[in-house]
Parts: sequence; structure tokens; C-alpha cells
Amino acid sequence: MEAFASDRSCSDVRSAHEKALVVERVSKEYGRSLPLARNAGGPAAGAAALTDVSFSVGRGEMIGLLGANGAGKTTLLKIITTLLYPTSGRVLIDDMDVSASPNQVRRKIGLVTCDERSFYWRLTGRQNLSFFGALYGLTREQVHERGESLLEMLGLAPAGNERYQGYSSGMKQKLAIARGLLADPAIVFYDEPTRSLDPLSAQNVREWIRAMRASSPGQTHVIATNQLSEAEQLCDRVLILARGRLIAQGTIREIREAYHAQDHELHCVTYRGAAFNGAIAVDPGAGLLAVEDGEADASLRTLRLRTVRGSDALSSALQRLLGSGRIVVRCDTDEASFDEIFCSLVLRDHESGADRLPQVTP
Amino acid sequence: MRLAWEFFKRDARIALSYKAAFSVQMLGNLLLLGIFYFIGQLIDRSDNPMLSPYGGSYLAFILIGLALGDCAGVSLTTFAGQIREGQLTGTLEATLLSPVPLPVILVYSSLWSYFLSAFRFVLYVGLGALLYGVSLHQANILSTLAIFALTILCFAGIGILWASVIMLLKRGEAILTTGGFIVILVSGVLFPRSLLPGWIQTLAEFVPLSHALDGMRLAILHGDGIGELGAVFWKLAVFAVVLPALGFTAFNRAVTLAKQRGSLAEY
Repeated sequence: MEAFASDRSCSDVRSAHEKALVVERVSKEYGRSLPLARNAGGPAAGAAALTDVSFSVGRGEMIGLLGANGAGKTTLLKIITTLLYPTSGRVLIDDMDVSASPNQVRRKIGLVTCDERSFYWRLTGRQNLSFFGALYGLTREQVHERGESLLEMLGLAPAGNERYQGYSSGMKQKLAIARGLLADPAIVFYDEPTRSLDPLSAQNVREWIRAMRASSPGQTHVIATNQLSEAEQLCDRVLILARGRLIAQGTIREIREAYHAQDHELHCVTYRGAAFNGAIAVDPGAGLLAVEDGEADASLRTLRLRTVRGSDALSSALQRLLGSGRIVVRCDTDEASFDEIFCSLVLRDHESGADRLPQVTP
Repeated sequence: MRLAWEFFKRDARIALSYKAAFSVQMLGNLLLLGIFYFIGQLIDRSDNPMLSPYGGSYLAFILIGLALGDCAGVSLTTFAGQIREGQLTGTLEATLLSPVPLPVILVYSSLWSYFLSAFRFVLYVGLGALLYGVSLHQANILSTLAIFALTILCFAGIGILWASVIMLLKRGEAILTTGGFIVILVSGVLFPRSLLPGWIQTLAEFVPLSHALDGMRLAILHGDGIGELGAVFWKLAVFAVVLPALGFTAFNRAVTLAKQRGSLAEY
């Protein structure tokens, strides 16, 4: 609910016609299986995969959909791409409801999946593109022109007449990108585009995604990923899902600021002198949440303080340190990495229950 | 047409890429023809009155039964087979992400199978005529083609109905095999229905293949035209309208359920 309210305020800035994708209060709960299909696959009955998820994506934006395994990223992508019906809420792509007009919506979207099995292994790369191009209503000429251009850009042209089954993981992923972009869709969805790739291939794929975006600035991109660095490199904004709920959204900088605004700081004071031995005690009321004294090397010691942001706890601790005759050599305040912020948000959601968590939506 | 051609090319390329399997399958068809030739030799030595409406030759009787039974079998299995294969290979979701409606995907995915079935029809009947002297000189081409088309429609309806079940239950080979044996037993693929007990003959009235086989044999071996086969055509026409309508309704419902349950690509 709060995320939705925040999203509305966010979207007020963008006029309605600029929105390429609108997700409104989408929930998904898996119902009971058919009696004869109890063991025939599908998620567990009664499981809430998504709860009241709302956000919007402006035309030309690239957003990252982040979350731990099982957070609901794939379920959300499947609902947006018409492969799954939501239990409640709705999704609009270019103002078209995906449940009411699935075929029209599919003309506007492309999916780059990490699933190698989604191609025909006995066909060549070009034959695969020709088939999927025809599915999207492209003429032979269009498939040839666009397909060759993409294969060329992705460096796959020389292997285009080889069977897909002989491709390396990187080549398969590139072909998935070519297929996703073949019909020049208005919105491209990427489902963990670098999951099974080595660091070099993953970096190459990111470069291609960036290059594709640069060549089609009006195209909107949604990337579901577990790679936070990937989101940091590519995305304008990120959405963080945990247990099917949207717990944060905004630019990475906004999320970092919002996190720090309501959270704690970690200070590391390096000093010369004898150990403190508990002379500075934890005092949550004064904003001092944790104290840890340790030896840095033969002549220096470190005092780690976790304080409430904006409190006087650091200043008080430093005064006591200096007042006792110790010499402060340096004082650092750690900036939490995005990985740490992400883990902290997700873990707190798991531990505390999402309903009690403050939204960090900027 | 371009899309239909792309589906056909896709399936043909995949099938032909398994060269050994494809060649052995073709060889198997020829061997089957040989087996029934010798059974025909045995049966045709006795003058069987049950075969007289069809020209008296068991080989001619059985070849048409096999050819049309093959077509019905393909119709029963190809749609569910495509769904199952798409689920197993992982291509189903990628195909369903396209703007092509699912029923169209289902029908186009069956074209290669129907092409092979038509090829086997010509192979059985043609080689029967060329090698073993089955008489085709009386064949009424128009009636033959019309019955062939109606048979495909009838069994495609049942096949799509079956695909709906597979979409939800994922596996059902045992049910299909049992159903196939029942159809072969009651419809007269291998022997005249007049051999069967009365109540089974009554049951056979509700199986479209029974009428299709009667009509096809009379059209090819007796030269009956559409006028003479009026009753057969009407019955087949009713099945050909009702069964596909039922099939597509059930299939759309099954897809909706699978999308609600999230089991579309599960296998």
C-alpha cells in the first residue's frame, strides 16, 4: 500500500502518456490444484507469490528488478508478459491491460531469458531467428535485415548457420538477446541475462545491452537480476522485492540515502594508547548502539562504533577518548555498499515481517 | 501462409535432422505393408461375405483401415504431443510469448505430422495397388478427399480436447493408449464391424472413425460418390463441427487454468 502511494507520487511527475509499463496493486496467490493434477507441477497451493505490488516505468527507462531467489521476480515477469494471470490487480503496457488484450500486448514486448532450453537445439541460430521472427509477424526481408544486423552486432554472424546445440553459454545468451530484440519491441524484459555466464561473457552481455539501449533510446528495459553490480551498472532505477512485496524502489543513490537516513552508521576510530576496556558503554538512548575495541597493530588500536545517524554518540565517544589522553589518528565513517543495503533490507524483511517495515521508497 | 510454412519447416528440419530415426520409421511403414500383405493372402483364400461390400479383398480393406487409422491416430496425438514436447524442451513459453493465438500455434504445429500421415496414406494405398494389385480403378477421388478432410476435423477436435487434458495433467499416455485400442476395436480398422457383438456395434456409431472407415472404403473400393454416401457424410459433418468446437473451448479453458495455476510450462 505504501509502495503504491509512493509510486503514485513518483508517477505524478511523469505524465500518463510517458508510462510504458504500469503495475497496479498486483497480487498472486496460487490456488488449489485440480484433483487429478496434484502432483503435476505448479507452485504450492495457497502460496502468496506477490502481494500488492505497484510501480510504473517510464518510456526509455531501464529498471532493475532485484530480489533474492523466490522473492517473486519471475512471477512478476510472467504476469507482465501474459504467461500468468494475477489473482488481483492489473498490468498496463502502453495503456493496454495485459490480461484483457494479451495478443496486442505481446506485439510490444520482447523477453530475453536465461533459459537455454527456450530455443530449438536442432536448428541453427538463423533458423531459430527466422521462426521466432515469423511468430512476431515479420516478413522474410525484415527477419533477414534485422536478424543479420543483430547477429553482426552481437558477433554471432559467423556462427549463425551452426546448430544451436553447439553454441557456448555466451553465444546462447547472445542469441536470446537477438530474439528478444528481433521485433524491435517497445519494452524488453530480461530474466537474469547473465546468470550462467563467466565474468567476461557477463560483462560482454552488459556492454551489448548498453549498446542496444544507446541505439534505441525510446526502448524501455526491465532487467530481473540477482547481480546487484549489474543493476548498478545498467539501471536508472531499481525495485527490490522480498517475499513477494516491493520493499524499496528508486535510483540506487536514492535507496542508499533513504537507507542511511533511517539507519545507523558505522565509525572506525583509530587511536594510539591503552585499550578502553569498556570505558565507553553501549547507550541506545544516546544513540550508541554497539562498541567494539580491538588491536590494529603493535602501536594502534581501533574502536568500532555503531551509532544512530544524526545522534551525538560519535562526538561523545571522541571527547571521552581524547579526554583520557589517547591520540586519535583517524576516524572513518563506512558507507554501506549497495550489496550490504540490499542484504540488510531483505534480511530485515524476513526477520521482522514486511508489514512493520518502513518503506524506503524515496 | 508464411507462418504456417515456418512451422512446417521447423518441424520438418527437426524430424529430418534425426536421419536414422526418420529412415527406420519409413522402413517400418514398408514392413507393415508386407506383414498385412501375407495376412491378406491367408484371409483372401476363403471367400468372406463380410468383406464383399468392400470388394472382397482383405488387403484392400486393411490398407485403407491402416491409412485412415493412422490419420486418426496422428490427430489424437499430435496436439497433445506438441504441448508435451514444448513443455519438456522448454520452447512452449517462448512460443506463447508471441502475438500468435495459441489455437493457431496448435494447428500449425500439427502440419508436419499431417503431411507425414497423408504421405503414409498414399504409401499404403499406392504401394498396395502397385505391388499387390489392390484395385483403385473405381476410386471416387472427390468422396475420398472429402472423407479424409472430415476425418481430420473430427479427430483433430478430439486431439485438441486431449491436449487440454495434457495441459493440466501433463502426462496421460496410458489413457491415450487405452482409448486408442478401444477405437481400433470398435471402429473396424482391422476387421469388419459386423464381426462384433451388437452392443459394441451400437457403441461404434458414436465413434467417428467407424463412419469414416465405411465411407472411405466404399469411396475407394466401390466408387461411391458423395450422394451415395450421404448418411456417412452427415454423421461425419456433425462430428466435424461439434468436436473441434468442444476441443477449442476446452483448450482455452485449460490454458486459463494453467495460467492461473502457473503450470503452463511445467512438465
